[in-house]
Amino acid sequence: MAPLVDTRPARSRLRRGVSVRDAGPPIALLVIVVVLSLLSPQFRTTGNALNILDAAAVLAVVTCGTTFVLLLGSIDLSAAGVMGASSLVVAVLVENSRNNLDLGILGILIAVVLAAALGCVSGLLVVLLKVPSFMTTLGVSAIGLGIATLVFDGVQPGVVDPSLRSWATGRLLGLTYLTWIAVVCVLIAWFVQRYTRLGRYAMAIGGAEEVLALSGVRVGPYKVAVFTMAGAFYGLGAVMVTSQLGSGLVQSGASYTFASITAAVVGGTLLVGGRGGVLHSTVGVLLLTVLTNGLVLIGVSPYVQGGVQGLIVVVAVAVAAAPLRHRNQVVK
Amino acid sequence: MSAPVTIRPSSDAAVVKGGPTRSESLTSLMPVLALVSLVIALAAAKPGFLSQPSMTAVVDAAAPLAVLAAGATIAVLCGGIDLSIAALASLSSVLLAMWLPTLGGLASVAVVGVAAAAGALQGAAHVFLRIPSFIVTLGGMSLFSSIALVISGAAPVPVIDDGPIRWGFTRIFDVVPSAAVVAVVVVAVLALLIKATPLGSWITATGYSEPAARLAGIPVDPLKIGAFCVSGACAGLAGVLLVARTFSGGPTMADSLLLPAVAAIVVGGTAITGGHGGLWRTLVGALVVTLLRVGLSVVGVSAAYESILYGALIVAAVALTLDRSKVMVVK
Repeated sequence: MAPLVDTRPARSRLRRGVSVRDAGPPIALLVIVVVLSLLSPQFRTTGNALNILDAAAVLAVVTCGTTFVLLLGSIDLSAAGVMGASSLVVAVLVENSRNNLDLGILGILIAVVLAAALGCVSGLLVVLLKVPSFMTTLGVSAIGLGIATLVFDGVQPGVVDPSLRSWATGRLLGLTYLTWIAVVCVLIAWFVQRYTRLGRYAMAIGGAEEVLALSGVRVGPYKVAVFTMAGAFYGLGAVMVTSQLGSGLVQSGASYTFASITAAVVGGTLLVGGRGGVLHSTVGVLLLTVLTNGLVLIGVSPYVQGGVQGLIVVVAVAVAAAPLRHRNQVVK
Repeated sequence: MSAPVTIRPSSDAAVVKGGPTRSESLTSLMPVLALVSLVIALAAAKPGFLSQPSMTAVVDAAAPLAVLAAGATIAVLCGGIDLSIAALASLSSVLLAMWLPTLGGLASVAVVGVAAAAGALQGAAHVFLRIPSFIVTLGGMSLFSSIALVISGAAPVPVIDDGPIRWGFTRIFDVVPSAAVVAVVVVAVLALLIKATPLGSWITATGYSEPAARLAGIPVDPLKIGAFCVSGACAGLAGVLLVARTFSGGPTMADSLLLPAVAAIVVGGTAITGGHGGLWRTLVGALVVTLLRVGLSVVGVSAAYESILYGALIVAAVALTLDRSKVMVVK
């Protein structure tokens, strides 16, 4: 009987601790929204709220991918390169200003598959060659940018395809199609994380890879699958950016590598792996987008945003790492 | 009573063994072999390649890259990485161009000092806040770029009187590029400093096994902060060299040098896991990377392949030099 009495308070205490930690980012989001609403009359309009959701769409999709890699305890710096390659590929495959191809939805699929393939390469390099993920993904990012530059070939391909263009312009219930795509992506990613073996194992790999391997799970294939899925999300994000910009650009994904990591970390997905998740990261995406929007409305230079993100990520990682100080003694 | 889980540090294998194994001595010779074969291949492909003007041009082009990579090598030897070097060099170029009219010759010193301080700050954040170095320096990269863009108004800052920094881009006796001399001096001074003092063994120990180094009483924390400080200072100096040759500072001027610099470090044979490697290797690595770039244009391959090449090169070189005995779980 005694153990039961002992465990119950312990468990409820643990649960309360978890819920307080999980509640941090949403509360921060709420506070920032309230403060910005008080500071700027332009901020507290319905139109601006819709703008913020539209602006968050691409980052939300990209961050879904990054989140799974972070759950593993790995990191993915390849979003910029993968998105550049996908953006160019989709721009030359759908109806465009440079060639006579008009593959439509097939072109979009090819771009997403290419991105998934690049993600798969990162994963394979991590698993087979045991190269740390920040190095492989840095290399794959460079390869992606190279592919993008090759396809770009000096002439910017403009997107003519009306259906792809409508992604950014068409509206449903006041929000652009892009935002609805992002909502669907977040739901799918959450479903994968919560209810599939891939998602559960990703979490477990981040928590204790050795234990999982010792209990007979072949970890490698799941890691490769996670990197591949992350690549697919980047690819879709790149298609969305291309629709927004109306043309394929090599640098179209340049800011997303860092923004997605920042968003995930701010939302409570830890870099050490095993903690957080898609919904946490989505709160982080909203937090970051609200902050960006608010700073611009208050009149801060858009160039300051990168600096703010840099500071935020360092502070967020430091705060998240503080309770784990003794767990990971060696920090590389 | 004790849990049956024993974690055996597999790195003891690396410590116990006597000399380098055959594969190790081969990998340590590889950069030099690569350099020699590249020179031979280029000389065969382009007859005029071994001429003095063309060699001077190659060495000159490699110099800022070598300086940039030399500092970051120390951070890598300690087991960390500095991804902010290119952005910091860009920021330094902007600061130098803005300060030259008022500070004159002192501007270069001030810029290197500021860059060193920025590096030390990152090192302190890494050590005291226990944040992985790549995430600190990734944050730093974003922060430095943003500062450079804001203070320069996102436009190049022209240098009208380049007198005080002409030392960074002249030819000594009309032959030797001064930038190359600067690069060699930087590497030599750092290498001597490391060899002549206990710093060398401290750095190696920290890189190979940080817990062991701590237990042995090595001041690991100040050492790491110092490594990032040197890395920052070298980035600042690279920025000065870049301004000297372009007569302007630009907020994104050096950003494209990050991948070549990382490539130079790992191609030189410095293990990304820390401990194993050296500064002269980075010098060789910088030459290899520069020659590869030259080689691409000689063969007539589109410059777009350059980026693909760097990516493949980095992954391949890291895979070859990685100390697998130390990596139990690959993150």
